[in-house]
Amino acid sequence: MAETKEKSLSDEKPKPRVRPIVRLGIFLISHSFHVSVVCCTAGVLALFLLPVLAKNTYISENALMPGSASPMLSNQHVSDGNRLVKDLTNPNSKSSETGIESHKIIAQYMLDLGAEVSFHKFHPQMNQFHPLHFFSSPDSGKIQENYSCSSYGINTVGIIRAPRGDGKEAIVLVTPYNALKSGFGEALSLGIAYSVFSLLTQVTWLAKDIIWLVADSQYGEYAAVAAWLREYQTPKFSSLSAPNAEMCPDVNNLFELKGHSISGSKFSNSFRRAGTMAAALVLKVRDQNEQFEDTISIYAEASNGQMPNLDLINVVNYLAVHRQGLRVNVEKLWSLLNSSWLKSLGEIFESLAKVAKSLYPKWKFGIPATEYVEGTATLASSLYYQALGVPTGPHGAFRDYQVDAITLEISPKFSLDKVWRNDILLRGGRLIEGVIRSVNNLLEKFHQSFFLYLLTSPSKFVSVGVYMIAFALLIAPLPMVAASLYVDANSSSKRSKGDSSTPSAITDTDEHSIAIRSWSPTTSFMIWVLLSILSLLTLNSVLASPLACAKATQEKEWALVKSVTISSVFIGLGLMSVINFATAEIGALLMVPMCLLAQPLKLDVRAGTLRSFCRMICNLVLGHIAFPPAAFFLLKGMLDGFGNANVGDFWMWVESLWAWNSATYLFIGMVQLPCWVLCISILFHTC
Amino acid sequence: METFINPKSLFHLLLLPCLLLYSSIAYNSSPVEAAMHTNNWAVLVCTSRFWFNYRHMANTLSLYRTVKRLGIPDERIILMLADDMACNTRNKYPAQVFNNENHRLNLYGDNVEVDYRGYEVTVENFLRVLTGRHETAVPRSKRLLSDEGSHILLYMTGHGGDEFLKFQDSEELQSHDLADAVKQMKEKHRFKELLIMVDTCQAATLFNQLQSPGVLAIGSSMKGENSYSHHLDSDVGVSVVDRFTYYTLAFFERLNIYDNASLSSLFSSYNPSLLMSTAYYRKDLYKRRLEEVPVTNFFGSVMETIHTDAAYKALSRRNSGRFEDEMSLDQSVHHIERRMLIKVNDGYEIHDINPELLQGEEGASKCPWSTFRNKFQKAENVDSLVNYGLVAMIPLLVISTWLVQ
Repeated sequence: MAETKEKSLSDEKPKPRVRPIVRLGIFLISHSFHVSVVCCTAGVLALFLLPVLAKNTYISENALMPGSASPMLSNQHVSDGNRLVKDLTNPNSKSSETGIESHKIIAQYMLDLGAEVSFHKFHPQMNQFHPLHFFSSPDSGKIQENYSCSSYGINTVGIIRAPRGDGKEAIVLVTPYNALKSGFGEALSLGIAYSVFSLLTQVTWLAKDIIWLVADSQYGEYAAVAAWLREYQTPKFSSLSAPNAEMCPDVNNLFELKGHSISGSKFSNSFRRAGTMAAALVLKVRDQNEQFEDTISIYAEASNGQMPNLDLINVVNYLAVHRQGLRVNVEKLWSLLNSSWLKSLGEIFESLAKVAKSLYPKWKFGIPATEYVEGTATLASSLYYQALGVPTGPHGAFRDYQVDAITLEISPKFSLDKVWRNDILLRGGRLIEGVIRSVNNLLEKFHQSFFLYLLTSPSKFVSVGVYMIAFALLIAPLPMVAASLYVDANSSSKRSKGDSSTPSAITDTDEHSIAIRSWSPTTSFMIWVLLSILSLLTLNSVLASPLACAKATQEKEWALVKSVTISSVFIGLGLMSVINFATAEIGALLMVPMCLLAQPLKLDVRAGTLRSFCRMICNLVLGHIAFPPAAFFLLKGMLDGFGNANVGDFWMWVESLWAWNSATYLFIGMVQLPCWVLCISILFHTC
Repeated sequence: METFINPKSLFHLLLLPCLLLYSSIAYNSSPVEAAMHTNNWAVLVCTSRFWFNYRHMANTLSLYRTVKRLGIPDERIILMLADDMACNTRNKYPAQVFNNENHRLNLYGDNVEVDYRGYEVTVENFLRVLTGRHETAVPRSKRLLSDEGSHILLYMTGHGGDEFLKFQDSEELQSHDLADAVKQMKEKHRFKELLIMVDTCQAATLFNQLQSPGVLAIGSSMKGENSYSHHLDSDVGVSVVDRFTYYTLAFFERLNIYDNASLSSLFSSYNPSLLMSTAYYRKDLYKRRLEEVPVTNFFGSVMETIHTDAAYKALSRRNSGRFEDEMSLDQSVHHIERRMLIKVNDGYEIHDINPELLQGEEGASKCPWSTFRNKFQKAENVDSLVNYGLVAMIPLLVISTWLVQ
């Protein structure tokens, strides 16, 4: 009986059983609308929850032991530093036009300490765009053709060898200094660095060499540091470049003078090196300050959203707060601090947390509303600067060589008396000493802590595992919606292809107009817009319309185009999230709603219901926001006020992205703009 | 049946119980139980590398200094240091190691003999030292040449966890490994009493698998507890000593070689609130009462002295290798030490004792019956009594069955 029953059952189901995962996929695709609504809402909500989910930072690497050694920097070293500051700010030293005098003073001071000193002359390099050099170091072999003796910079480099070290590793301290128009702040930063340097020549505990780089910032701080690093990491063996620079009489003069005055000392004409760099600190002192207390700002973002290891920031933060009593700042979007909607959102989260806590006392995830607002402002700025892909300081040059580096900007409360100056020299110096001693304890590269994180305060962070959730939720519905659209369109008619000619067109024009440089930003921007529209229309008339004519106009063509758009957005965002997560996150916020909602306006007008009217409005608004220039203006207007917004600003912004080799530029050109054009073409589809 | 039993087989049957008897006598008169405390050894191990583990080396060197001060000579201390902090470039005081921030005592002075250093400190080498299974090229100074009368102090410090101790940041010693090594030592008569002292996190778990008698173990913390460092030397920039070791040393600093402080007073000196962990000691394998055992039995080299009239009574080199009850009782401390040295020269002669006795040549000449009688009368050992009884039953049984047939 049983056998026959089984047999009959199997006869009834001739087709193979569908596997559960396939069934789940089919279920999701058939309910793609609900899924996408839920996922997108959850994604945006998760993004706003990030400040609540932020964890306290902790020092992950055992070897660092920050603050375990008491600082050795004494008043003696501070007075040494003070002496240098006085000498540099002395009007006599500024007599020379090229500022060589102050370089000589610095070199002499370094030599007096017994350090190895050398000058590094460099020519500021033109920025060149390498579309695919996201994380690789710049080329070494580039030798510039037009050296001119008038434009060169001189970096002064002092090296202390660790007395018992193996010379395989080094710690770099960078102080940007413009000899021609140096403010008091720059001189003070040199003073701090010198006092630390003079201490380090005496100590016995160095395991890594110390390099002090006084970067000539007359062509920009980044350029000077980048030039020195290029020379350090990729020695030039060609004989072409060396004589080129030597030909300039001024430089030779400088070297000769040095060589004669202090023969037999540790001065050398050749480029000096130490070991591989363990970490680098860029030290700056701000000239003016409105703060009420001494603060120190940390800048960490390098190119394409790369961050230094979190441990380095932790060490600086720990030492500054708990040892030197300095307030630590990271960049914030200040305008967000006063926004009332954020405050009320924070209050909602706070009250929710209270309710949760009353239900179950172990749930403690709430943070006060003010803290939430600050956290969000910091997170937004962290996200923005990472998305920009432009380094926020000279430390970015180090990251290109996988060296962990940050910029510390000390902003003292401003007063000019000597006691204050000594105080800031002492505390700043002790902070730098502490960080160097801590890094000196390191046995390996920084590797224990996070590299992928967003800061919500100097002592709080969101790690990659948490912030990926928001992004994943945002883009999760894309493939489902694309699949469901494709299935729907195919079921009605089985012949159609998406209009894929437009993306290439838009990038073409994009690249093209970059070459136009002689006009003002506003004109360039206008020309670009005109050219783009022109080429798009031409291409559309040449390629798209004949095809459309050839086929019978089909009702569902727009659905196929939308499906293709959504797929390409998904692929583009997925790829971008690997290269620069923050860009992908912001791009997803702008594009995902637009792509999901896009529907021909004609259909909505025809339907005439309230729902379709709402959708039409949404489509129009999103269509405007997702256009990169519009989004830029909107953001800028929200942050700085709409009065200053200028059409040319966007052009400048894009140009800076181009100049800094940012992957965001590629993203805008190759993902965002084409997809926006496709969405617009869906909106205005004639069906 | 009769055909099967011939005189030869009968002889064999009779010989068997006799042999058994002899062997049991030989076992009971074997030196293991009879051996007296002859000498002291110390194996001091620091298992962790890296500058930030400075304190582990300082712990070990402090213990080294203490046991040396209390009388264990350098040649009987095996010192294993996994890294060289003294010459680390980060050390503010080159070639010096301190265990206190007052820097009064340099632990790395002139007379420090490090037997295993750096990457020589591995689990393999550690187990080789304990079990005595060395390659032939290993010098004597790197071997633990203890005997069945030795008291051994095994001190280990480093980073540990549940039933393991980390060596060199790359390998681990598990509690099974340790227990196995100790068991082998016991089998090879390499110690009389063994004190294992461990200062790591969850140190108590390392003793879970120990089975061998005569082993006493003390650890700095229970399962799930951490062992903490005592204080930070802000001049050197590292923690310089662990709490458990610090208070151990504090206890010993008050002692000198003549003090009679007992092990129980050491063990009860640990204050959990000061240690921030619970010191745990396992004594179920150890027979003696802790109140009666002076700490110098392990941490020093103080032994019972027995006065004899004739200092050099008939101590031939040949006999010295074979441990006789009466003789060792007669010997003075000097003799014991000397005999130890001689025995060491003899190498592994000890292990040949039992087969010799089994053959019944020498064993018989040493009048086993009297020993047997003594044992019997004392009735100390119930097990042996039962054994003797059973063995005596066998010939009776055989004879009776033979007679019946």
